[in-house]
Amino acid sequence: MMKKYLAVLLSGAMLLGAVSMTGCGSSSSSGSGDAAKEETASDSGDSEEASGGGGDNLAESKDMLTSAIDSVMTTDNHKMMDAGSTFDVPEAEGTAEELDKLDDSDSAKWHFYEYLDWDEAEDAEFPASPADGQNGKHVILIVHGAHAWTTCYQEAFEQACDAVGMTVDVYDPNWDQSTQDGYVDQAINEAPDAIVVIPVSADHAAQQFKKITSAGIPAFCSNTLPEADAMNFILAYTGPNDWYQMRNLADNLGEQLGGEGGVCYITHNVGTSPYYARTFGPMSELADKYPNIKSLDYQSPGFEAAAVKQVVSDWITKYGDDLNAIVLADDSDQAIGATEACEAAGRDDIIIVAAGISKQGAELIQGGKMYGASYQSCQADAGLAVRTVSEYFNGEDIARVSYIGTDIITKDNVEDFLPCQW
Amino acid sequence: MSEVNNKPKTNTAKVDTRKEEISKFSLIFNKLGIYVVVVLLIIIGMIVSKGSFFTASNIQSILEAVALIGMVASGLTFVTYSGNWVDMAIPLTMAAGGMLTVQTINLGFIPALLIGIATGALIGLTSGFMIGKFRANAIIWTWGFNLLLSGVIRFVWGGKQLYADQVANDSEYAQHAANTFFSISRTYIGKYISLMAIVMILMMVAAWFIHTKTKFGQELKIVGTNYEVAKYSGINCTKVMIIVYVINGITASTAGIFFSALRKTSSYENGTGYDFSCLTAVLLGGCLMDGGKGSVVGTFGGVIAYGILNNILSWIGLGTYEKYLVQGVVFLFIVWLNTYSNRKLGKA
Repeated sequence: MMKKYLAVLLSGAMLLGAVSMTGCGSSSSSGSGDAAKEETASDSGDSEEASGGGGDNLAESKDMLTSAIDSVMTTDNHKMMDAGSTFDVPEAEGTAEELDKLDDSDSAKWHFYEYLDWDEAEDAEFPASPADGQNGKHVILIVHGAHAWTTCYQEAFEQACDAVGMTVDVYDPNWDQSTQDGYVDQAINEAPDAIVVIPVSADHAAQQFKKITSAGIPAFCSNTLPEADAMNFILAYTGPNDWYQMRNLADNLGEQLGGEGGVCYITHNVGTSPYYARTFGPMSELADKYPNIKSLDYQSPGFEAAAVKQVVSDWITKYGDDLNAIVLADDSDQAIGATEACEAAGRDDIIIVAAGISKQGAELIQGGKMYGASYQSCQADAGLAVRTVSEYFNGEDIARVSYIGTDIITKDNVEDFLPCQW
Repeated sequence: MSEVNNKPKTNTAKVDTRKEEISKFSLIFNKLGIYVVVVLLIIIGMIVSKGSFFTASNIQSILEAVALIGMVASGLTFVTYSGNWVDMAIPLTMAAGGMLTVQTINLGFIPALLIGIATGALIGLTSGFMIGKFRANAIIWTWGFNLLLSGVIRFVWGGKQLYADQVANDSEYAQHAANTFFSISRTYIGKYISLMAIVMILMMVAAWFIHTKTKFGQELKIVGTNYEVAKYSGINCTKVMIIVYVINGITASTAGIFFSALRKTSSYENGTGYDFSCLTAVLLGGCLMDGGKGSVVGTFGGVIAYGILNNILSWIGLGTYEKYLVQGVVFLFIVWLNTYSNRKLGKA
C-alpha cells in the first residue's frame, strides 16, 4: 500500500516538475493568437534592448542586411541573397475549366499552373511590419522533407539568418502532410517573429498559411509554388520560376534542333508543380515557337537511373531517328539514365537537356553527354527567403511574389557554376 | 452382423472430389508458374514491338532495368519463404552498403566493396538474431531497424550525399578505386551484356543452389512451412533465421553498392521503395507470404515479368496513370492465379 502512495506522490511530483519546467498552463503561452503576439512583442522588446533600442536596431539591421547581401556567397561563388525578380501576370484566356479542355501543348492551358493568379481583394489582414529591424528576430522554418537538397537549403538558410542577426529553428516533417500540419500548429504556439514554410503539398498550403496569418504571425512561403488561393494568406512567396527557366531551356533546345525534330520528356513526380512546369512548360514553348518540332511522348518513371534508362532505351528502339532530343525534369539520376541509354545505343546525336543543377549533371555537361541544364540555385532560394523576411522586418515594401535568378548552363559556362551546391 | 457390414454405405461415404475439380490450367500454371505469364508477355511484346522485341538492345534494356530488383529479390525470397513476409530494412541496408563502400574508398576498391557487403551482412545478422532468437515481429522489428539506420546515417553524414571522387584522397590509388567504383554499373561484356545483369543472374543461381541443394535450404523448407514442427524436430531455428537475414542483407547491400555506383553518389535515400517492388517480384514468382512455398526460379520469373511488362507498356506508349492501372491489374491477376491454382491443388 505504501509503495502505491509513494508511486502516486512521485508521479505527481514529476508532473509538477515537468509543468513548471515547460511553462505549460501559464497564461503567457495559452496558444491564442493575442497571447502569442504579446510574447513576441515582449521578446522583440528584449532583443531591441539588447541591441541598443528600436531605432538603432533598425539602422544596424539594415547595415547587416546590406553587408550580408554583398558578402554571403553560395558555394558556386554567386551572391546568395541577390534580389529576386517579378513577372507580370497576363490575362487568363478563360476560366480554369475552359482552359483545362485545351491541348497539352497549348500555353494558355497552363495559365493557372504557371502564374500565382489570385484575387488580391480576398487577401487576409496581414500583420503590419514592426519596422524595427530583423536583428534579434526569431524565425521558424518548416521544410517539406529530408533530402540532400533540403540539407543544402537549410544550411544556407541558417547561414543567411546568422549573417543578418536572426535565429532560426528548423522543423522537418519528412514529406508527411499531417506531420507538417502538426509542426505548423506547434510553430504557431511557439509564437516566433515569422514562419517560413516549404509546403509538402501545394493544394494543402492555403489551410496552413491561413492558420499562421490568423494567429497574427507573418507567413512566408518558399520554394514550392502553392495553389494561387493560398496567396491570400501569404505575405510573400519566394522561389524558383520553374516555368520561366524551362521555357528558356526549351528555346535554347529549339535553336539547337534547328527548329525540327522529335522530343520526348521524362517528368517529375506526377501532380507536383515541377511536373507541370518541367513537362508542359517546354512542350508548350516548343509548340509555340517551333511548330516543326514534334513532342513524341512523356513518361514518369521516377528518379531512378535504371528505370529512366529502360524508358529511354525503349524510346530509342521505338522512335529510331525520329527521336532527336530529350527533356528531363532532373539532371542527376534521370540524366544518368538517359545519357547511358543513348550511349549504349550509340545515339550521341540525341540532345539532352534538364532542370538542374547537380554534381552529376555538371559532370555530364562537362563530358559532353548532356547539352545543357537550367540553373536553379538551392542556396539562393534560401537566401532570397531570408532577405525578404528581413526586408519585411525593416518595414520595406516587399514583392508578394519574387523569383530567384536563373541561367542556362552549357559546356561553355559550366565552370562558372562549380562546385555544385549539393 | 455380417449383413449390416456388407451394406454399401451410400449415405455416409466421403469421396474426395477435389481432384476432379482440378482444371488442367491450374495444373499447368502450378507447374510452370510465372513462366506461363512470361511467355504470354513475350508474345504480346513481339506483337507491339513489331519484331523488335528480341533485338539485343531491347533484351539488354529489360535485363538491366531489373538487375537491381533481381539482386535484392534473390535474397528476399529467403525471408518471404521463411514466413517473415518482407524485410522492411531493405532500403536502408542498400543505402548503408553504398555509404560504407564510398566512405572507405580510400582503402581501395575491393576492400571498400567487401566492407559495404559486410555492412549488409551485419545488418542481416542483427535482424536475424532478433527475429530468430527473440521471435521479434519481423515487420515491426525491420521497420523500426530501418528507422534507426536512417537516423544513424543521417546523423553521421549530416543528411548529405557522398561522392566517391570527393571522398577519395588525391592519391592515384584512391582515385582509381573511385573510378572503378563508378564503372561497375557501366561495364558491358561484349557490348550488350551488362555486368549488373550478370551479377544478378549469378546471385539468382547462388540463391537457387543454397535453397535447393544445401542442408540449410532443406531446414528452411521445414521452418517456413511450420516453425513449431521445425523447432521440435531439432532444427536450430535461430540459426536458420540468422542465415536467412544474412543472405538477405548481403544481396541488399550488394544491390545498394551497384545502385550508388550507378547514381555516382550515396545517400540515405538510396533504396527507397525497393522493399515493396522486390516483394512484388517475389510474390509474382509464386512465393506465399505465409512462407513455405515458392522458389528462386519463380522469383527470377517474377523479376523478368516485371521488366517485360514495363517494356511493353513503354512500347504501347501508355500514359503514367494508365501504366499504373495496367501494372496493378496484371500484378493482381498473377497473384490471384497463383492463389487460385494453389487452392485447386490443395496447396494453400
